[in-house]
This record gives sequence, C-alpha cells and structure tokens, in this order.
Amino acid sequence: MWLWFSKLGSPKWFYELSGKWLPWLIATMILFLVIGATWALLYVPQDYQQGLTNRIMYVHVPVASLSLSFFPLMAVAGTITLVWKMKLADMVVKVAAPLGAWFTALALASGSIWGVDTWGTWWIWDGRLTSLLLQLFLLLGIISLRSALEDSDAAARACALLSIVGCINVVVIKYSVDWWNTLHQPGTTFGMSSDQPNGPEFWIPLLIMGIAVALFFTVSLILATRNEILERERRSQWVQELVQE
Amino acid sequence: MKPHRRKRLGIILFIAAGLSVSVGLILYAMSQNIDLFYTPTQVAEGEAEVGQRIRIGGMVKEGSYESAEDSLQVRFETTDYVNSVPIYFEGILPDLFREGQGIVAEGTVDAEGIFQASRVLAKHDENYMSQEVKAALDAAGATPENHQLSPQPES
Repeated sequence: MWLWFSKLGSPKWFYELSGKWLPWLIATMILFLVIGATWALLYVPQDYQQGLTNRIMYVHVPVASLSLSFFPLMAVAGTITLVWKMKLADMVVKVAAPLGAWFTALALASGSIWGVDTWGTWWIWDGRLTSLLLQLFLLLGIISLRSALEDSDAAARACALLSIVGCINVVVIKYSVDWWNTLHQPGTTFGMSSDQPNGPEFWIPLLIMGIAVALFFTVSLILATRNEILERERRSQWVQELVQE
Repeated sequence: MKPHRRKRLGIILFIAAGLSVSVGLILYAMSQNIDLFYTPTQVAEGEAEVGQRIRIGGMVKEGSYESAEDSLQVRFETTDYVNSVPIYFEGILPDLFREGQGIVAEGTVDAEGIFQASRVLAKHDENYMSQEVKAALDAAGATPENHQLSPQPES
C-alpha cells in the first residue's frame, strides 16, 4: 500500500496514467451532459409552483454540491503536502483553488438567477448564501496567498493549512439551512415513486447532470494538474523528451 | 509512518479540531443573530422592538389576503399556525406569493402591532412535483405538510 502511495505521488506516473484515462473520461462526460441537459431542459415536468423556473435546479444543484467538495479535496491534499511533502499533492492544492472559485461563483450566479424569479430578489444575507460567499472569498484568499509568498515551500505550507481550516466552512454551508431559518430552501429528499413529491421524474435527470458535472470537475482537475506538472518539472528529463517528440 | 511525520500529522489534527470547536461555539453563541427572520410568534410576544427594522417569516394565512382596488396596497396575515401578525405592504409582490405559501417580509412593527413591510420575498419549500402529482395528492388528502417553516426541531 505504501508503495502504491509513493508511486501515486510521482508526477511522471500520474501524467502517463491520466493521459490514458482522459479520452474515456471526456467521452463519458459528453454522453452524460447531452442526455442530462436534454432531459432536464425539455422533458422534466413543470413544477406545480414554479413552472419552468425550477429547471435551473439542474445546473445549480450539481454545481453547488460539487463546489463543496473543493475544500475537503484540498484539505486532504494539503495534509499530504504537510506530512509527506508530496509534490503532486501541492500541485492539486494549487490548481484546485481557482477551479473551486469558478464553481463557487457559478453556484452563486445560478442561484441568484433562480432567486430573482422565485424569491423576488437577487441576493439576501441569509445563512446559506453568506457562507457560500465566504467560501468564494476563502478560495480567492488562497489563490492570492500563493502568489504573494515568494518561497514556494512556505506558500505550499500556508495554502495547505488554510485549506484545512476552510473545511469547517463547508460544514457550515451544508447545515446552514437546518441550523438557522433562511430564505434558501432546506435540502430536498428524493421521493421513491412518481406519485410522491420529488419523484424520479425530477431526480433521475438531476442525478445524470450530477454525474456529468462531477466528470467535468474531474477532467478539469486532471488537465490543470497535468499543466502544472509540465510547468514544475520542465527541467526534468522526461518532460524534455516529451516536448521534443 | 516515521515519528516526525506522525508528530506533524498530530499537530495538524489538533489545530483542525481546536478550530472546529471554537467556530462551533461562536456559531452557537451567534445563532440568534444568524437567523434571517423572526417568526410571527416571536413578534407577537414582543421580541422585536417597535420601529426596529426586522424581517418576519411565516406562511400567508389562508383567506387573509386583501388588496385595494385602486392602488398596490395589500394586507395579509403571516402565521406560523400558533400566532399571526398582520402585514401592510404597498408594492409588487413576487410571482410565487400566494395564500398558504411561505414569505419573508422586511419592515418594522408599528405601535399597533401591525408589520409595515417595505419588501416582501417569497419562500419556496423543498418539494417539487408536477401539477398531476399535486392534484392526485390533494385528492387523496395526502399533501405533504408545508406548514413548517425551516425545520426547527429543538424549539
């Protein structure tokens, strides 16, 4: 197990393996995205209260849920950076921050568009919205922290620590709608048959879109990490050979 | 695992645990202030001061909605099914505003205990269904209880 662990930390090994996975991941992602988006935008029944507006859900919910996975991911990678000083882990922390900021911004934007139509306002300082905005600022903070510190080892340590600290906010975002009264709805529980609220006709396309967005997240993360590997390992022999090919 | 690595992992876990506990305590202490709105019961019991700008959240009481014929003035009552608070509002209501649905209003309580709203927002719940399912559930008398606002199990 430890052998596997240290092998995973080798940038060259990751670069080669991820290169083999990428075409498959991208093909599956496109498949799920086409099926999910078509289904969600054309065939989902209209909601009895919101009509067509609730179809924003099929973008908002996957993006928003995925945006919560960045801090746990960065915290795990950050812990590995701090304890085992694995180079690859720090690369993941570095490239995940801007990606996470985009996901969070997209979740806030799609939520705002949904909100203006249903609630009657773009923004309100309730627990859910405010804590998600805090996550965006934390991620922007991590990005600027890295560029502010010249010593790359110190930057890696600082960013790793901030990623671990930021995880607490994820718990707050998740449970904000249960702990406090908010304008944002509490979490929806799926209905198991189509004669119940939130039945399969609503959540199966949501699940497909969720998988599509999760694959998009994986593909973006792999591409960004590969880019970072080439950048940091540009003096190593295998990268030189790769460039010459 | 080498000793110095184990030590470093221990320090990280200690920091993370310490921070979680302190953030938890801060949030617990502030929980009253983080709530977006007062409930009708809190307003009826006088928790909100007269003239203070607050938000109130509740369901629009069935049969309480009245509107003026020649202006945008509306009057309705918001309720948590224990207490009700009358609300005056002049302006455009959101599309989702209807009796039996949740709203959040911003404004002040006046001396007579009437809430003068400057803005009314609609709150939608977590249940999505088609017209057909809604009709079938209503016919069976099994509409899920929308009567609770945000779940507040402990209060």
